[in-house]
Formats: sequence, C-alpha cells, structure tokens
Amino acid sequence: MSNPRLSHSAALILKALSLGYCFGLDVMEVTGLPSGTVYPALRRLERDQLVESKWEPEEEATASKRPARRYYEVTREGKAAALAATQRYPLLARLVSEKRS
Amino acid sequence: MRQPLPSPLPLLDRNLLGLVKRIVPCDEREEWFRTWQAELWHMHHRSRNHPGKTLSVATDLSIGLTRDALWLRTDSWRRSFTGTPTLCLATLLGLCLVSTLVSLALSGSWHALSLYLGGPFKRSLLEAPLVVFVSFATASRRHIEQSSTGKKLYWIKRQLFFAAKMLLVLLLTLLLSADICQPAHASLPNTSELFQIIFFVIFALLGLRWAFLDQEQRCKQCFHSLGTPARVGRPSHNLLEWNGTELTCKQGHGLLSVPEMETSWCQSSQWVDLNSRWDQAASI
Repeated sequence: MSNPRLSHSAALILKALSLGYCFGLDVMEVTGLPSGTVYPALRRLERDQLVESKWEPEEEATASKRPARRYYEVTREGKAAALAATQRYPLLARLVSEKRS
Repeated sequence: MRQPLPSPLPLLDRNLLGLVKRIVPCDEREEWFRTWQAELWHMHHRSRNHPGKTLSVATDLSIGLTRDALWLRTDSWRRSFTGTPTLCLATLLGLCLVSTLVSLALSGSWHALSLYLGGPFKRSLLEAPLVVFVSFATASRRHIEQSSTGKKLYWIKRQLFFAAKMLLVLLLTLLLSADICQPAHASLPNTSELFQIIFFVIFALLGLRWAFLDQEQRCKQCFHSLGTPARVGRPSHNLLEWNGTELTCKQGHGLLSVPEMETSWCQSSQWVDLNSRWDQAASI
C-alpha cells in the first residue's frame, strides 16, 4: 500500500504520537497546535487506519482517582507514514522531542 | 460500566458538552461525550497549578470539542451521501442554482435575466432533442441486463433517475453557455448568440456522455456509485481469457464486470446480481 500524503499538521501529530505522546492534550502541548486542529486530525488519522484509539482500563483510572481517557496508538501503516512524512518534512524530527518516560 | 467523575466539571463545561453533544450523530454520541468529559477533567486537573492558563486552555478545548463534533457530523453525512443518487441530483441542482445566480449578477435584475435567457431557452428546445439523439446514437451501451421477473420497478426507477439527470445536465449547460456569452451580448449580439449555441452543444454532448458513463457505473438496484475497482485476469492473456475490471456495490447488491477490450465472445459489461446468490447461499 502506498503511503498517504499527509498535511504538515497531520504529519506533526503522527510524529508526536509515534514518539509516545498518546493523549490529545499531550499532543496539543508538545506540537503547539490548537485543539480544533488536533482532535479532528486524530479522527481523520483513525479513519485512514494510521492510528487506533483505545480506552485506558477503567480499574487503573479509578485507582488513580481520575476518569479513564482515550489514548491513541500508531498502527504499522501509521509508522510507515510517519517515516515517509519525516523524510518529506525533515524539520519534523526537530519540532517534537521524544517523550521522557 | 461508565464510572462517575471523581470531581464534577465546572457548570460552563457541563452546559457546553450538553449543548454540543446534540451535533454528534446518535451512534457516536456516548463515546464522544465520555472522551470529552475525560479530556476536560484532565485539563482542569492539570492546570490547577497554572491558574492563569486555565481560561485560555478551556477556550481552546471548547473550540476543539465543537470542531470535533462538527467533524463527526459531516463525516457521517459524507458516509451516508457519498455516491448516492440524491447527492448526484442535488449537486447538479446546486450547480444550476449557482449558474443562475451568476447570470443574475451579470444581468442586474430578474427582468433583464428573463429577457436575456428567453432567446437561448427557445433555441435550446430545438437543439436539446438533437443533442440527446446524437448522444444516444453514439453512446457505448455495453450493458447486458439480466432478464428476470420482478425487476420492472428498478428499471422504471433507473430510467426516471437517468431522465432527471439528463434534464439537469441540459439545464446546467444552457445556463453555463448563457453565462459565458452574456458579457459580449450587448456589444456583439449575433456573435454572442452563435457562440452560445456552439457552447451549449459542446457542453451538452460532454455532459450527456458523463451522464451515460455515470449511469453505467451505478448499482442497478440502489443506484449508488459502484466502487472498489479490482483488476481481474491477466492483460497478456487478453484474447485467451477474461481480463478486465470489476466494480462492486457497497451495499452488496451486485458487481459490474467491465472487459478491458471488446472481443467477439465478450462484447459487453455484465451486471452480476448478487442478491439471488445470497439467497441461494442462505438456503443451503
């Protein structure tokens, strides 16, 4: 399958996700993009099967006294697309730094 | 089961969520609400240490949740309407409306517009049947219809849809050709009328050719555009075995086999009705 052409914002979001930022708020913070760009872009990426969303285990969230959140993971196709996007937009790698665990 | 929030959201956020929730399609509403409830809760919890940032982040997230809801709504419409006959006719009607508005803007008033369009309209009553005749005579009618009983209703509906499409295409081409020649009409009336006729004939021939092609590539039952084209057979065996493209109906009504080239043993596209096959499979 050929890699889909991503916009700069979508590529930035995909890069952030591939570097371990898995929540919408984290992606917003690290990319500096507004939520009106990030959340619809996440939907589009999910529709194109470049990312998939899952819910945190309810028990884990309850134990931490917080509601469970939806998080995003990059799929295999998404990783390939992120790699292609980094080659297309070389500055992406410098814009987002890897998440410290 | 959904757990309640450890601490409630501010009243403004709750009201906003309740309001914007109505935009989201019903089947996705619950999950959207849960997602945004959690996001807003975490945003408030996180910005407790930076009270100055709360307002700006909350405003940004409000825009985000609204745009997210709008995206879901438009995506739902896109999925529902893409390839439907309704969208096809609505698009043609919309283009006719836009073309009329352009004509109106160029004419300046409804009265001037009706005076100007009178001539092209009368001429088109003569031109259109000729163009339709030529289009029918030259169209590649490659379908083999499966003769089976109980399909009369689909046939009538299909012809009505095709007639409506042709009518709208002719109306659109009339308006377009009139729009193009209108600026020159005041100074060069005869030349403008001649060019209007030429443009009308060219656009109508192209438009009707498209109408034929579009009709061919629609499901014979639900009239949705056929999709997911798949190449079948080997091009190197063109004269030895079947080689072409198969288009399928997304609703599963059937598939259209279009041969790559017309041969004496395979001259036409073939519509394969899958409904009867499903019935056979179910009865086994």
